[in-house]
Amino acid sequence: MSTMKIKAKAENDVVSAKVMIKHDMLTYDQAKTKGTTANFMTHISAKVGETVVYDMSTSQFLSKNPVLKFKFKNAGFKKGDQLEMTWSDLSGATSTEAKEIKGL
Amino acid sequence: MERRTFLGLGLVALAPVALSAEDWRTTKPNAWTAHEVTPAIEAIFGKVTLVEEGVDVKTPKVASNGGAVPVKIKSKIDAKTVAVFQDVNPESTVAVYTLNDHSIIDFEMSIKMKKSGTISVVVEGKDGKLYVGKKSLEVALGGCEG
Repeated sequence: MSTMKIKAKAENDVVSAKVMIKHDMLTYDQAKTKGTTANFMTHISAKVGETVVYDMSTSQFLSKNPVLKFKFKNAGFKKGDQLEMTWSDLSGATSTEAKEIKGL
Repeated sequence: MERRTFLGLGLVALAPVALSAEDWRTTKPNAWTAHEVTPAIEAIFGKVTLVEEGVDVKTPKVASNGGAVPVKIKSKIDAKTVAVFQDVNPESTVAVYTLNDHSIIDFEMSIKMKKSGTISVVVEGKDGKLYVGKKSLEVALGGCEG
């Protein structure tokens, strides 16, 4: 099941990305109220090929279904290259999805 | 002699490759349980002397929904780490970005804010200094009760 919406576009020497990740991001407090266990993403990263272009350790305080935007330098990427996003959460679940970078 | 050369090469190959990715939750666990901004900064960077310049933080003046407050971070500082904190949720640290040569400090994310407060973004420059940008905002409807 798809958990992400990825958009990436290269312009001049910069690639702009917008990513929406479907995740409840249930905090400890919210979990207590609901009588379940907290679960939120703890790490989100992005690669183009083997090049890491985004790396973020996260807490329970990202919003539910967080929207992330970021930019990175075009390190000689070629047409057809994909932006590959990976997240992992507290429960140990991970998900990886990729989308072709436009404008290369 | 040949054997020695061979072993030497093997050692070079085994030397740890400099990874740009770091899991701050594993390497700095105390940072994520700190209830105040200053101890959280200390837990991550080991010091708390901040230079208040060069970091641009943007949010709406009044966030109608504390469950998803957009935060924009920009800086031209040549940096290796960017950490985001706030002073109203149960714990202070929101996220830590690890940068590399491909990074541009131009990030946006949506975060939870329990009530009105201040977001502090600390940028660790390659010069070893900590730069900070702050932004206070009002939150109309708190975002942690869910």
